[in-house]
Amino acid sequence: MTEMARVEVRLGARRVTRAFGSVLANDRVDLSVAPTTIHAVVGGNGAGKSTLMRILQGVDRPDEGSVILNDRPVRLTGPADAYARGIGMVHQEFMLAPPLTLLENLVLAREPVGFGGLIDWRAAQAEADRLAKIAGVTIDWRLRVVDAPVHVRQALEILRLLYRGADVLILDEPTAVLAPAQIEDLLALMRKLKAEGRTILFISHKLEEVMSVADKITIMRAGRVVETTTPARTSLPELARAMVGESIEAATVEARALPSEKLLFRARGLVARDAMGVQRLGPVDLDIFAGEIVGVAGVSGNGQDELVGSAAGLTHPAEGTIDFAGGDMTRASTSHFRAAGVGYLSADRGEEGLCLTASIRDNFIAGRERDHAFSRFGVLQLRAIAVEAERALTRLSVRYGRLSDPASSLSGGNQQRLAIAREVDREPKLLVAAQPTRGVDIAGTAFIHSLIAAFRDRGGAVLLISESLDEILALSDRIIGLYNGRIVGELNRREASVDRVGRMMLGQKAA
Amino acid sequence: MMNARWSVYLVRSATTAAPFALAIAIGAVVLAATGHEPLAVYQLMVEEAFGGERRIAATLTAATPLLLTGLAAAVAFRAGIFNVGAEGCFYLGGMAAAVVGYASPNWPSTLLIPLALAASGLVGGAWLLGPGVLRARLGVDEVVTTLMLNFIAVDLTSWLVNGPLLARGSANSATPQIVSNAELPRLLPPSTLHLGFVLSLSLVVAYGFWGRFSVEGFRSRLVGLSARFSRAVGIDPLRIFVGVMVASGVIGGLAGGIHVLGLVHRFVAGFSPGYGFTGVAIALLARNSAFGVALAAILFGALSSAGANIQLFSNVPLEIVEILQGAVMIFAVAQFGFGWAGHRLGP
Repeated sequence: MTEMARVEVRLGARRVTRAFGSVLANDRVDLSVAPTTIHAVVGGNGAGKSTLMRILQGVDRPDEGSVILNDRPVRLTGPADAYARGIGMVHQEFMLAPPLTLLENLVLAREPVGFGGLIDWRAAQAEADRLAKIAGVTIDWRLRVVDAPVHVRQALEILRLLYRGADVLILDEPTAVLAPAQIEDLLALMRKLKAEGRTILFISHKLEEVMSVADKITIMRAGRVVETTTPARTSLPELARAMVGESIEAATVEARALPSEKLLFRARGLVARDAMGVQRLGPVDLDIFAGEIVGVAGVSGNGQDELVGSAAGLTHPAEGTIDFAGGDMTRASTSHFRAAGVGYLSADRGEEGLCLTASIRDNFIAGRERDHAFSRFGVLQLRAIAVEAERALTRLSVRYGRLSDPASSLSGGNQQRLAIAREVDREPKLLVAAQPTRGVDIAGTAFIHSLIAAFRDRGGAVLLISESLDEILALSDRIIGLYNGRIVGELNRREASVDRVGRMMLGQKAA
Repeated sequence: MMNARWSVYLVRSATTAAPFALAIAIGAVVLAATGHEPLAVYQLMVEEAFGGERRIAATLTAATPLLLTGLAAAVAFRAGIFNVGAEGCFYLGGMAAAVVGYASPNWPSTLLIPLALAASGLVGGAWLLGPGVLRARLGVDEVVTTLMLNFIAVDLTSWLVNGPLLARGSANSATPQIVSNAELPRLLPPSTLHLGFVLSLSLVVAYGFWGRFSVEGFRSRLVGLSARFSRAVGIDPLRIFVGVMVASGVIGGLAGGIHVLGLVHRFVAGFSPGYGFTGVAIALLARNSAFGVALAAILFGALSSAGANIQLFSNVPLEIVEILQGAVMIFAVAQFGFGWAGHRLGP
């Protein structure tokens, strides 16, 4: 450790650039993590944090620039190489063997071997106890991973890095899966490890915990480092603004002060839980009227996915009720939601919004193949489908080769237009639009905004979920803040500003 | 544009032909190593399979059950359901048709044949309803359930023909002969080619149209490509899973029924030399296309009809043909593994 203390940069990056296709995931990124510090990297989705971590872990390699270890540039050959140099990472999806006990998972692949090539469980247990003591946690090592709660699994992941001798721990959004009390425990554990001589690099969306635990904060946006600062020199609102970016002068859509009186969507006491049973949303009450765009502002992971799932009818809420267009839809299937007039633009365009391996034509009619316009007596009317698809795609200026080409042949922006063409062509009453312009260029974004506004002007209702504050401010007639699964405030467009919405995103009242 | 499309077709046909080419190469090595002249043997095989009306009829007869077992597999595969239960359905469907065929009074053919075939389809469909529902409701892997059900079906029918349904005075494990009006008519006597070939081929053609032009065909293809996307646009993948599983079972059952009514004229224990599994290889080779299923079924039919004759006219053992068949299947499955790696999606 004494030798460590003399280096300035234990782990870092120098002008690291990594491109995926035409997208620069990392653009000349510089990062310097000093030994025995806690260094936070913050940024929205698509800021390039995960790409950078993968590079620092040796999973991915930079196109240009290099990883720095102990002040010197190195070429990591893979995660095993990184491990050998003392760098370990806890991924968002835990890498544990569920049917094995915690102790077995701890020593897995590095078992202490005793007499006759057998595993020396006594030594393993002693080592486990020693590590738990260092970390200041109590763990029942006999528990199987499947039976262990999430925060215990996470502690195990961290202890396993220590067991393998890592002194630099990379934690990828470690608090995303934790309840508030457990977050406090984790932050305490991180401080303990720092005091004990370890270096921690962690990624987070949650600015409050970053302010509370980090020594240094690096803010990334759109693949670049925009700022490196310390909690003492910054504030929550400043961080939020740096993360979201200065408001670019985007074509703002005219707001509608008074939507119609027609209540379309009404949720009461809506609660949603994730697969682990952790409550992610609610209880939430939400009304959406015909002819208005309701924007949901919030840092991702605050219940947006669950709200989208419930509103689009993809998942049943754990508690509460949903009424849509006058009917109870709480337990209705996805196809009922759609038949009742709900359209859905998925944030995951490649996997859920479109089927990239299917043709453009198939993507256009998917879910509507039974409609009278497209089939008669169970037989597809290919000619009518082609005519309608060409008409709709031309209206949205989608650039494509032929209708039989796979959707993957389209550029990102045109893919999104295809998805919009399908969803808007149905003339739904409510459009649930999740990140409708993610990965779309500026011109495409303006066009998509105008489409959504035109849909509203025809009397449609829109639930807009976006991480882009600009988008929320440009489109929404009404803005609600979602924080920790709860609605923390509501503003109409006239009252909204970057500061006020930014505060709502951080869970503060929009006063 | 044109060039790109042509190269796509070229690559596609090359990859389809590759398993056959590799199998033929391996067969040549085996033949040469055992002291045969590979080219001469292959030439003999082609002659035995396609040389003249009688031989072509034999090849098509051999292809008949494969058309339907291949189809049974393809229907399920294209919706992303890896059903390998056609073998069991083949046995049960055959048994059902045989029972109807021998136990019924000598009604006219127009009544008896549809009745027997309906029974075989019904039994086959019901047999796979369970795995379909288990997959849809509980996410139970259909490969395991359908594979295991095959053993149960084979042994169940074997027990039935050794006990309750054994023909009186027969030492074989077989049911009595079906009545003559239940037999499918022969197309080219004296060859054994029967109406079942036409029925099977029509079903394959119908499948081609269904897949291309029908609403349900569209839905099942979309579910096979992406279950998550299908769910988001309001197509229920679980319903499709159950639907194609039952459809696949019906077709597998029909295959057995047609085999009994057209060729064997009774049910005999162990009467399928793995038609159901050959069907899996056929569907994989065909990439679930109707045309491909027809072509691959006829090729496999040619291999087996040539194989039967080849040891009569040369000293090449029948096993060489089985090696060829096995090699084609292995390469087909290996190729399938490349194409499908990471493709399967959860429910």
